[in-house]
Amino acid sequence: MSAALARIPRMALTCAAIACLNAISWSLVTPPFEVPDEPDHFAYVKQLAETGRPPSSSSEDLSKEESAALYALDSERLRLRPQIHAIQTQGEQEALERALASDAHETGSPAAGVATSQPPLYYALEAIPYSLASGASVLDRVALMRLFSALLAGFTALFAYLFVREALPAAPWAWSVGGLSIALAPLLAFMSGAVNPDALLFAVSAALFYCLARAFRRGLGTRDAIAIGAVTAIGFMSKLNFIGLAPGVLLGLVVLTVRQARAIGHSAWRRLALAGGLALSPIVLYALVNALSDHPVLGLVSQASPGGSLLAELNYVWQLYLPALPGAVSDFPGLFTAREIWFHQYVGLYGWLDTPLPGWVDNLALVPATLIAALCLRSLYRGRAALRSRALELATYAIMAFGLMALIGLASYQHFPATDAEFGQVRYLLPLLAPLGAALALAARGAGRRWGPAVGAAIVVLFIAHDIFSQLQVIARYYG
Amino acid sequence: MRARGRGSPARAALVASLTLLALAIALTLTRSPVSVAGTSVPRGVSEEPIASTQTGASYCQPGERLPRAVSAIRVWLAAVTGPRVSLAVRSDGRRLTGGRSSAGWSGGSVTVPVGALAHAVSDVTLCVSFQLRDETVYVQGSGASAADGLRAGARELPARMWVEYLRPSSSSWVSLIPSILRHMGFGHAAPGPWSAFAALALLAAAAALASRAAFKELR
Repeated sequence: MSAALARIPRMALTCAAIACLNAISWSLVTPPFEVPDEPDHFAYVKQLAETGRPPSSSSEDLSKEESAALYALDSERLRLRPQIHAIQTQGEQEALERALASDAHETGSPAAGVATSQPPLYYALEAIPYSLASGASVLDRVALMRLFSALLAGFTALFAYLFVREALPAAPWAWSVGGLSIALAPLLAFMSGAVNPDALLFAVSAALFYCLARAFRRGLGTRDAIAIGAVTAIGFMSKLNFIGLAPGVLLGLVVLTVRQARAIGHSAWRRLALAGGLALSPIVLYALVNALSDHPVLGLVSQASPGGSLLAELNYVWQLYLPALPGAVSDFPGLFTAREIWFHQYVGLYGWLDTPLPGWVDNLALVPATLIAALCLRSLYRGRAALRSRALELATYAIMAFGLMALIGLASYQHFPATDAEFGQVRYLLPLLAPLGAALALAARGAGRRWGPAVGAAIVVLFIAHDIFSQLQVIARYYG
Repeated sequence: MRARGRGSPARAALVASLTLLALAIALTLTRSPVSVAGTSVPRGVSEEPIASTQTGASYCQPGERLPRAVSAIRVWLAAVTGPRVSLAVRSDGRRLTGGRSSAGWSGGSVTVPVGALAHAVSDVTLCVSFQLRDETVYVQGSGASAADGLRAGARELPARMWVEYLRPSSSSWVSLIPSILRHMGFGHAAPGPWSAFAALALLAAAAALASRAAFKELR
């Protein structure tokens, strides 16, 4: 164990430590249950930890003790009303303490709202800190569970750094730019400083990108196949959104196997079978359990149905990210989705998507974002010969990204036109943090060897600034 | 190698960027938070949807009072993915001030920055307008007589839209730090200001570690 730890680059561990510290800081700043769906995720853990069974109802009829805490925290009124602050008086605090101390405890929480449909791995892991604090108040349990999530932020940053290292082997000085920036990303810390399976999804996705990059660089060994298969299996058990990454993983495995088969013959296909078998094992098990218990074989996925024609769906998914093509019906009239949904939210939208940074920050942020994008493109252009030789590897990452984006788009289309972009939330794209780290490292490299490190240093400080001002905004909103 | 690195452009950029960041934080803390200078939100009443549209609309509310120095106006419109909202404040048919929000907002209210006036103006009409195709936007407020109510085109509604007029307060963020620290002590696992200090220390440690790592690695 210690030998394995010693092989991890020091900078990777530094990135992990920074991401952990940052996420713990966010967990202290953000009031309990003021992160999207945190009450529902807490309820899922409560049910699993106290009864050993997952929740069975997606209603919002949460347990009495959680409802009492939410009521005393004024959560319902706080949500979506940025003008309202968290509790601010000694009287409110005493009322909260009375609510927490009341004996309104009941075993489990059969209803867990939107969390009910999610796979159980994250909740099973969170059941450990939950159980450790089982005699304590709801808020104590939330605090301990948030600390566990914050640890996962460390894994996300660690694997993001390792991915950058494998993906860009020729520029060691630029690795730290990618790793440190991801470790400081405020949205990662905000989500990982909360009880939310996104924290595990981000970590698993970053690990998967790293495993694939490693296999593309060194060949698909048996250990690599096992790692990719196992990480994919963990991903399937973490959050349904992981399904979006699967087509890209499949492409990557096939490409790696074909390459390996040229070197070692047919035994390479056994590695593919090993990885595939491991990866799909949770799905097979899940389908088997459902089939035996007379439930839809693929659960929620079986019930998904398209809301219109395929062309209309594709048109919608395209426009959720990019401007409408000429001649296409606009599904988002007057809305530049790339900027006004995705960029705006990335710049800063916290709490229940009700705590934005001031509007002028969006405009200001366009300047560094454009510069970083331009430098990244310059770096890609200068390395186009190397890009050609790694086209299939890049296609793998691209299909993973497109798959995730398409999944978000198709899920949103189920609610369209009642709501324009139900799942238009940038946190759903954070499984792509590892490639974002590589893009930032490329941007630093795009400035050339002389000025690249200076640009890299500026990028790292930009992320520090983004993180600090985001926390200040959250503090101002809830406690100002 | 070490001596050469010490004077590298990367380290100069790092020091300069961190200095700039420190100045930006100091500047921000000397600024004032916005405060509510005037409101049509009644106390102790919950908002309710008083109108809704899926096609876009223009709503005007007479009988408003625009306080002086208002830099933004918060109107109670609710949407998942809100449209660009245009707002105008008129008096006797003359436009006094106005502004536009960006699209993509979500939640139960939208804040529109407006040009500040040096003096207060009574009995103004506040109008908001926006275009939509599918998304539903709800106007939120509470009941009132139709004569005083919100106008949706020629229609007079027996309710008023909630509006808040915002302007910079007289106190700076620095002067508010003690009360913010006190507030941060409420509503958490272990009450008391320790969580605020712990959060600050953790954030500072993360920033310091990252700066140190960048200083060592980038040269």
